[in-house]
Amino acid sequence: MTRPLRQRLVLLALLAPGVGYLLVFFGVPLARVVLASVSSADSWLPQFGHYAEVLTTPVYREGLLFSLWLALAPTLVAVVIGVPLAALLVRSYPGKAFFGALYKIPLVVPSIVAAFVVLILLDRGGLAHRWAALVGISLPRVVRDPAGIGIILASAWKNVPFMALIVAGSMAAISEDLHRAARTLGAGTLTIFVRIQLPLALPGITAASLLVFITGLGAFAIPNLLGPPYPLPLSVHMYDQGYRRGNWPLVYAMGTMLSVAAIAILLAYHALTRRTQHSLTAGRDA
Amino acid sequence: MNRRAGHIIAALLSLYALIALVIPLVVAMLWSLVNPQDGWFAPDLVPPSYSTSFWSDVFATPGIPAALLRSVGIAIVVTALTVTLALPTAWALARIPFRAKRAVEVFILAPLIVPGIIVAVSLTEVFIRLGLFGSLLGVILVQTVGTLPLMIRILTASLEGFPVELVWAARTLGASPGAAMRRIVIPMTAPGVVAGGLLSFISSFEEFEKTFMIGAPAVETIATKLWSYLGGDIIIFPTASVVTFILLVPTVIIFAIAQALVRDEDLAAGMGKV
Repeated sequence: MTRPLRQRLVLLALLAPGVGYLLVFFGVPLARVVLASVSSADSWLPQFGHYAEVLTTPVYREGLLFSLWLALAPTLVAVVIGVPLAALLVRSYPGKAFFGALYKIPLVVPSIVAAFVVLILLDRGGLAHRWAALVGISLPRVVRDPAGIGIILASAWKNVPFMALIVAGSMAAISEDLHRAARTLGAGTLTIFVRIQLPLALPGITAASLLVFITGLGAFAIPNLLGPPYPLPLSVHMYDQGYRRGNWPLVYAMGTMLSVAAIAILLAYHALTRRTQHSLTAGRDA
Repeated sequence: MNRRAGHIIAALLSLYALIALVIPLVVAMLWSLVNPQDGWFAPDLVPPSYSTSFWSDVFATPGIPAALLRSVGIAIVVTALTVTLALPTAWALARIPFRAKRAVEVFILAPLIVPGIIVAVSLTEVFIRLGLFGSLLGVILVQTVGTLPLMIRILTASLEGFPVELVWAARTLGASPGAAMRRIVIPMTAPGVVAGGLLSFISSFEEFEKTFMIGAPAVETIATKLWSYLGGDIIIFPTASVVTFILLVPTVIIFAIAQALVRDEDLAAGMGKV
């Protein structure tokens, strides 16, 4: 009887530093935010007034929609560029080690730097405009534009390598035998990409898409530097309303909405990977 | 795979690297070398003349060397704290089977997925009450919320592959627990710990949102300095370019070293891939 108890204590002692820290500085404060967003001085019952304010005030409602757009659009760009990039990276070619290290650099570049790159290249008077002017083309406005193109490009710059890293991992795991069999049966590179690599890398693509989506939903620095004055995404409203005006209950409601979205995606993501792991092991047993 | 296909792939990847990395870096470098006497205005494709005066100006600006030192100092403390907290937890997750493991893993993943602004907002009121808001310690504590999951996940991934039989073999052959630790466990797990430590260092060094919300304006790091040059009413491109390089050069060098020590899949795990 004492031995299992001792083992359990050892396990708890080992888990305590990491899990305990995250409970104190992340879990409990986040739970407090959720509680504070629905509590009021007058009633014991949860009050949803701040949520109603976010959903009915046009500025915030448009902000919420803009946040969703800034999450969705970079995800699509990351898939469209990152997945073919991954398919290239897993092939064999001269300089593989070099490119394999090079493409990952944006992963560790701060997003403010990504925003700065967009400013010097694509803002009016930026280098791309000067090049285009040489051949007589005038480029559309992409910085502080209402569609947030500059924001989408800066986020995509960081997210394409992230997508490629995860998808290349899935593609590298595909057995070389499958490729050989397909080629023997007359499949070209494109057929192999569409019929073999894409379907087998789908769990990786989905996982990376969910992570890119949630990053875009809560991003603050890039939209603040490159976004239009209207609409502002919820993250920027959170900063203004909280740190500039002290309107914390409203900020907590917005924070809760974004956290619920993040946690829902996290759980969906986990359920998804669990199912694919199951089907993979099932396939191995069969 | 035939040679022609290989060359086409290398050419496509070079094109990608040119657009995504080389052009932005060259343009930023040109901006940092603009001569303040002449400026660099449209339609000029390169600056009319060059000088290093913005570089010397930036290093002579009183706030910058201090911000750089502070960034490095914070990153060292955050990394040390992160490694200390992560090692035992990662060991338990990698080596001990227990029932709630899946739940613990999801909980550890959560701070990587919940946006940084929410982590900062949720700590603000408590930190104000405890006097940690706008303090160096407050910044260290909030940054660790981001680096700890990264570290635990990278360490867990690398410890999972650790062949524990070697320890049993050493013990059977008469090695003391201390000797087994020193001669087997530490050398074999060191690359994972070093790679995780380097990645924690970079992730603290380049962290902006949480540092800005909890630390600003009292605690200035190199990243918040860059923000102040970009977010102001007049954007000073040459100054911002110099600060960008101060931020980028150490980050890229350390990342290159870390990449040599960590497998791609462990890196992906650290960044949130399950």
